[in-house]
Amino acid sequence: MAPRSCVLCEKSKAILKRPKTGQQICKECFFYVFETEVHNTITQSKLFSPGDRVAIGASGGKDSTVLAYVLKTLNERYKYGLNLFLLSIDEGITGYRDDSLETVKRNQQQYDMPLKILSYDELYGWTMDAIVSQVGRKNNCTFCGVFRRQALDRGAAMLNVDHIVTGHNADDIAETVLMNIMRGDIARLGRCTYAYFKKLDYFSTECIYSPDAYRGHARTFLKDLEAARPSAIIDIIHSGEAFEVSEEVKSTQKAQQTCKRCGYMSSNDLCKACTLLEGLERGMASSGITDRARKKMEAEGPAPDNLRTIPFFRLPSGQPAVAIESPS
Amino acid sequence: MASESCGNPTADTDARMIRRPKFDRSKFCVKCKENTGNIVIRHAVYCKNCFMPLLTGKIRRCLESFINDKKSGRRTYLKASGNLLIGFSGGLGSTVLLDLIHRIYFPSKMESERRAESLKGGTAHPRNEMIWQETRVCYVEVCSAFPNMNDRTEEARAVVLKYEPFEFVSLRLEDAFDNKWWAKVGGKPGQGLVIDPTNEALYISKLEDTSLADPVQRLRSYLSALPTPTAIPSAIRMLVRLLLLFTAQSTNSSHLLLATNLTSLSISLISSISQGGGFTVKEEAQEKWSSDIAGEGTSRTVRLLRPLQDIGLKECSFWAWWNELHVIGRDKYPGAKQGIGALTRDFIVGLERDYPSTVSTIARTCGKLVPKAGANGTCVLCDRSLQIGVQEWKARISIRSLSDSTPPPASSRPSLSDHLCYSCVTTLTSRSSKVTARSDGPLPLPVWVQPYLKHSIPSEDSFDVAMEEELKEAGGEIWERRKVDESEMKGKISDFLLEE
Repeated sequence: MAPRSCVLCEKSKAILKRPKTGQQICKECFFYVFETEVHNTITQSKLFSPGDRVAIGASGGKDSTVLAYVLKTLNERYKYGLNLFLLSIDEGITGYRDDSLETVKRNQQQYDMPLKILSYDELYGWTMDAIVSQVGRKNNCTFCGVFRRQALDRGAAMLNVDHIVTGHNADDIAETVLMNIMRGDIARLGRCTYAYFKKLDYFSTECIYSPDAYRGHARTFLKDLEAARPSAIIDIIHSGEAFEVSEEVKSTQKAQQTCKRCGYMSSNDLCKACTLLEGLERGMASSGITDRARKKMEAEGPAPDNLRTIPFFRLPSGQPAVAIESPS
Repeated sequence: MASESCGNPTADTDARMIRRPKFDRSKFCVKCKENTGNIVIRHAVYCKNCFMPLLTGKIRRCLESFINDKKSGRRTYLKASGNLLIGFSGGLGSTVLLDLIHRIYFPSKMESERRAESLKGGTAHPRNEMIWQETRVCYVEVCSAFPNMNDRTEEARAVVLKYEPFEFVSLRLEDAFDNKWWAKVGGKPGQGLVIDPTNEALYISKLEDTSLADPVQRLRSYLSALPTPTAIPSAIRMLVRLLLLFTAQSTNSSHLLLATNLTSLSISLISSISQGGGFTVKEEAQEKWSSDIAGEGTSRTVRLLRPLQDIGLKECSFWAWWNELHVIGRDKYPGAKQGIGALTRDFIVGLERDYPSTVSTIARTCGKLVPKAGANGTCVLCDRSLQIGVQEWKARISIRSLSDSTPPPASSRPSLSDHLCYSCVTTLTSRSSKVTARSDGPLPLPVWVQPYLKHSIPSEDSFDVAMEEELKEAGGEIWERRKVDESEMKGKISDFLLEE
């Protein structure tokens, strides 16, 4: 079969077929549509204002690297007037994060952006390696997920940024829509669309040996759907944007409050990170996971006064609270 | 890259999630606490004696709050405002539904005499009348859609007629393209429309092709013009649903019952979401439908309910087994295995084995969802709510041409895609990554689309006239027939004629 020419420029040879539109296009046109679609999302959804400080959640993976590149390119091309920063979280997993942090440091040089690396050790006094040595391999994802989410927000507060952007792509969003329905996570379902535009929903997609079998099933399923009909990913996102949780159900949900210990947003008196950290510190790590263990810890009395806690959370205002590594 | 913190399930068995035991505490029935259990339903154990009333109770709970018309005031007894239509496919679910509905609401003579003794007010009291005056069971035969499929109408009839006083109604899938059926349900027969499925705008023209005069041919052309294996079962499902709804309306039925069970409901919810049907996710569970096809401004509202929606596949199987019900079964559609519907079925059924609560979580979560934006009428094909701004959304999320800043002038040819919901557009246009053997011929539309389109274009006096004019202007496909005289004919071919 003769090579097909690009349906957009009708000149160059098409090298890929876009699942979203079914169109076969060339490399140059792919770059054009990719960048312009990101630009359209930013402008049409009014994500930023001139002068905004924006942190790019950088893991060193392809998605966040592409995001950093595209955002820098668009910021210069369309004169958004944004101050861009790279924000990386170091979970403290020996032999796992080291390489990717090196990538992020290279990005800092290449894209000429200030970088802040915030570690679990610095924030919580625990590395993931230390947590695993206490809790074992089964429930450690709970700790990692909760700690990462809060670390990103705290990193953003330290950098005094107005927005965090993460490199979640359409597959991640579609997977989240399905997962939230299958797990009945009403609170997240409402946030999903918001996350699509604001890119503020965080979960790890990197830990390939994660025992979260459920998410693994969902991911395989999604890939099968995409193979059956490539538009499935975008069709699921369309579905996710078309519905919302009814007002009746929303009114029964817990109101958001602030954690009495660390000031971070929470649905209970203590936020999830403080609950988990207290369990770790008191040597009863499963208290943040099962009701039975929580009751057992409560029976042993209140938290001791000398308990190590997370520094008090303050929303960004004024000057950055930390020194930022600037590209040399 | 291997992580130190997370377990490797292939090498380390401890890293796997622990499978929960099949039942919670004991092997005795949770209800009577005496008998040894015979069935485990999501970790709870039931004996056979307690299982039967459990299922009838679930049906009643699901159905009875929707039987009385709200307008009927403070009536304390059940009385529907119209008749009942039950959809019957011959599968496990519909066999069980038929049996359960019959047992609960249509007891045998002996049983009703026994019950009458304990009835308050005697048999003549309105409270003790039948809830529905007439009950029909409708079977839609789909065998014409594919070659070598068995016609099971007579088998279905034999099953249904065992349940007195149910009346058997037989339909065929091709009725959706048949003017005779359309006239029977109160519609006004039209010439028929076709669309060009190769263009995303789905331009409409009149059906001129005489080879498509037969409804079976139209049905087969419709299915063979669909672009993916996913689209075929979705299209058949939509056609069956509409055939049943129009039949319900024409038989003065206030309720249409379908045998979707909890497992199949979760499958259809996830499958529908995966095909872009998020806006109408509520209607997958139940819907209130009416259609003014006669154009008289009055139409009966049909409530489509799924009384088995709290009952899983396993419970249905046990009911059929213990009551020795004969399930006639259904043929699988050829090619459907690679579609999104079948993939979702495999996924959910597999998940249900390891995580038995998943199906009810899906159904309950979707039950809490409502459409985010307002609706703009209904889709002319599936007759469900039409979300505002679907085309704009599609245009916004993807660049389809390099000259997006100056969009090409809209074609004057009537386009169907503006009147379709996102799901239906996707079904008709979204292609597979592989080349599929689809026909490039015109796609004939079901009989209800033409009258619906007339309603959707209120500014036009007549859709037919408007369409013909637009098509003529655009050099479209409407042919005008007139007698051409001999001299004109000669003039046209003069260049090719040799001098005499």
